[in-house]
Amino acid sequence: MDIKVQFGGGAELLFDNKKHYDISLPSKEKPWIIGDLLFWLKEHLLKERPDLFLQDNSVRPGILVLINDTDWELMDTVNYEIQLNDCIMFISTLHGG
Amino acid sequence: MCSVGDDGDRHMPSNVFVQYYDTKCQKCKLETPIVLLRRKDSYCKDCFLSGTNHKFKSLLGKSKLLRPKDRVLVSYEVGHPSTALLHLIRSGLDLNTPKKLRFEPVFVFLEDQYHLTKDERSQMITRAIAEAEKLKFKMHLVSFAESIMKDDVTIYLNHLNLNDNDGDAINNKFATKINNTNKKEVSNILRRNILLSIAKKLSCKFIFTPELSVDIAANLLTNISLGRGSQVPVDTGFCDDRDKDVKILRPLRSFDKKEVALYNVLHVLEPVTVRQTQDNQYASIQALAKQFINELNENYPATVATVVKTGDKLALDENKVAGNCKLCKGNILKPTEDLTSDESTSFSKLVSNELPDHSISSQERYEKVEGQFEHKAQVDNEYCFSCSKISRFLLSDT
Repeated sequence: MDIKVQFGGGAELLFDNKKHYDISLPSKEKPWIIGDLLFWLKEHLLKERPDLFLQDNSVRPGILVLINDTDWELMDTVNYEIQLNDCIMFISTLHGG
Repeated sequence: MCSVGDDGDRHMPSNVFVQYYDTKCQKCKLETPIVLLRRKDSYCKDCFLSGTNHKFKSLLGKSKLLRPKDRVLVSYEVGHPSTALLHLIRSGLDLNTPKKLRFEPVFVFLEDQYHLTKDERSQMITRAIAEAEKLKFKMHLVSFAESIMKDDVTIYLNHLNLNDNDGDAINNKFATKINNTNKKEVSNILRRNILLSIAKKLSCKFIFTPELSVDIAANLLTNISLGRGSQVPVDTGFCDDRDKDVKILRPLRSFDKKEVALYNVLHVLEPVTVRQTQDNQYASIQALAKQFINELNENYPATVATVVKTGDKLALDENKVAGNCKLCKGNILKPTEDLTSDESTSFSKLVSNELPDHSISSQERYEKVEGQFEHKAQVDNEYCFSCSKISRFLLSDT
């Protein structure tokens, strides 16, 4: 399943300083949810210490997630079922002065 | 803030996910919401953006401090809040309605990111200048280290001289090695004083600083913990009027991180970002207060507003003010006959360090130690309580 993943606000510093990724998720029995994607990102793309991005089973507090430009808190956060061509954006609010 | 045996959690609302797919924006009741604020308020894009703009302008308007043509120094810091502030000002100035902002902003970047390498800092400065230029603003540059060392402010445009050892400048202010809390405290006071000098050089009557509600709440707790309770109204309120010529205003104090970050995303603004410091959260009182507030904000978003609003109710009785502190310019209270908590602490210290003399009765022991204690009520101080604790480490006064 092809989706777009974007990083901003400093979150890209944890992902090889690249802001846009087109990724292809391998097919699996159960539908892909955001929670699965977080671990997939940790395995495949995350370059810095995982605790700067993840905490428990979710993103670290202070990182906002937007699914197709909509706040993930409106979409059941980690339980949202990812659809084909979704664009998932991670915005850090922690990388400032 | 002890949480041992704290069973309050079961009285707290549980985080049950509410289905928002089919709901409508809370404001216009028409559009599909795209953002959920404070875990409960959903807004569509238009209502969110107009609400944000309105909140910014109404706080400035309500204060009735700014007059048309007033020059305002806007203190730029890297990150979401400053980026949003720049954009909010630009869109306010460009309005053609009576609500148009009419002050003249002047931007300054007081650079103090000493955890970065020289190259990273130089890139950061270039990007900050570019960010301002994109909105047709001009960025002035000032080096924090240079200002401290020379004890004077030099304002640069386009370029700043960077040195690898700039970070040591603050340490050179002190005779001995001091703890991180005091270091951070002094550096905040110096920063404030430098901003005031810059404002005076650029003939600005006001300064905007980009603190958000979480910063205000953390500052409030820090001030209380450091014995700066009497300075809470000026240090965390909307307006800091300690200086008689230049007022410091905090126009973003009712915004939270999510609001400014989303504002930037929706306007396709890319804030300048830098590597994070790997701060030990227990290294200083400031870091601890920040951590505490951030965690609260994550789990119970209403708490930050409660802390800020409670702080807003604190005011100082002007009749009790004796003068201003030499270092932080905060108020020094008139000495009173009452026993203050400061004195109680010193008394307790005295008693605890006294070896008990068992050859006399307890009544005599008490009288002996009480006789040694000097009631300091009549001593006039140059420094406020909190600064007097730091001042003995300082080489010279600023």
